[in-house]
Amino acid sequence: MKKLNEKITVILAVVVVALLAAASWYSVTFNDRRLVDPMDFSAYEFRVQDLPMIVSIALFVLYVLYLGVLVVRAIIANKLRAEGSKTTRKLNPKLGLLGFAGFLGFSGFWTYSAFHAVSPFVFFAFFGFFGFFYEGRMSNTFMDERYEENRARAELTAHRTAISITFLSLLLLNLNAGALLGSLEYTLIALTILISLAIALDMFLSEYLLYRYDCADQTDGGGED
Amino acid sequence: MPDFECRLKKYRQLKELTQEQLAQQVGVRRETIMRLEKAQYNPSLKLAVDISRAVEAPIEEIFLFP
Repeated sequence: MKKLNEKITVILAVVVVALLAAASWYSVTFNDRRLVDPMDFSAYEFRVQDLPMIVSIALFVLYVLYLGVLVVRAIIANKLRAEGSKTTRKLNPKLGLLGFAGFLGFSGFWTYSAFHAVSPFVFFAFFGFFGFFYEGRMSNTFMDERYEENRARAELTAHRTAISITFLSLLLLNLNAGALLGSLEYTLIALTILISLAIALDMFLSEYLLYRYDCADQTDGGGED
Repeated sequence: MPDFECRLKKYRQLKELTQEQLAQQVGVRRETIMRLEKAQYNPSLKLAVDISRAVEAPIEEIFLFP
């Protein structure tokens, strides 16, 4: 049943993307690129030729909403399962690859130069998703008292490191009345980057240290006697 | 590193229990029993009592603190 649902989701994605591509091609070829190129919607007048693009965009939005519902349902199901069991949540270590999304933070340099927008710098926090690699390796582990102790130790170390970095950043950037880097805007950018990286480090270290504390002893030749 | 001597392995073998069986009885992972036997993990009082009951030996004979 789960496999069937996954297949349906993938097929729907292919259909929606294909429809969007076909509608875009139609608009570019026969409809003056309407709804493909940016338009002034205050002066928009409906044409029948716009229908393929409108329908495909509506389907795309519906599909994204459907994906959102699936994600929320999965999160709730995972939480309910975690509350009722004594094992860690099931997670594929390959989700650690989401950490590469942290490189999106570099887009902040472009958005700042083009639109003076600094918010994309927060994407640096996504580097913390590399921690999913270690969480995945500890997937479905029975949480006994040693696990809980190791988790508390790992989280404490990670939080202390992140807070120390944040505090030192604040201290350094506040030198010279917050204009250490020449202007308050640059200081804001530096602070956004440093805090995002501190959050990423916190997320990553919590999982990495837990894995190291919990699994280090299993590799030192400890077997059954 | 906890500073104590642990004689759990001796008592476990006397009861002819494997690490896995003992772990299941006291509700922990086999790795935790392994760490305990190497005196690399200081157990909670509850776990120490559970182990003591499982191997039928007094706590003070299993865990020797200086």
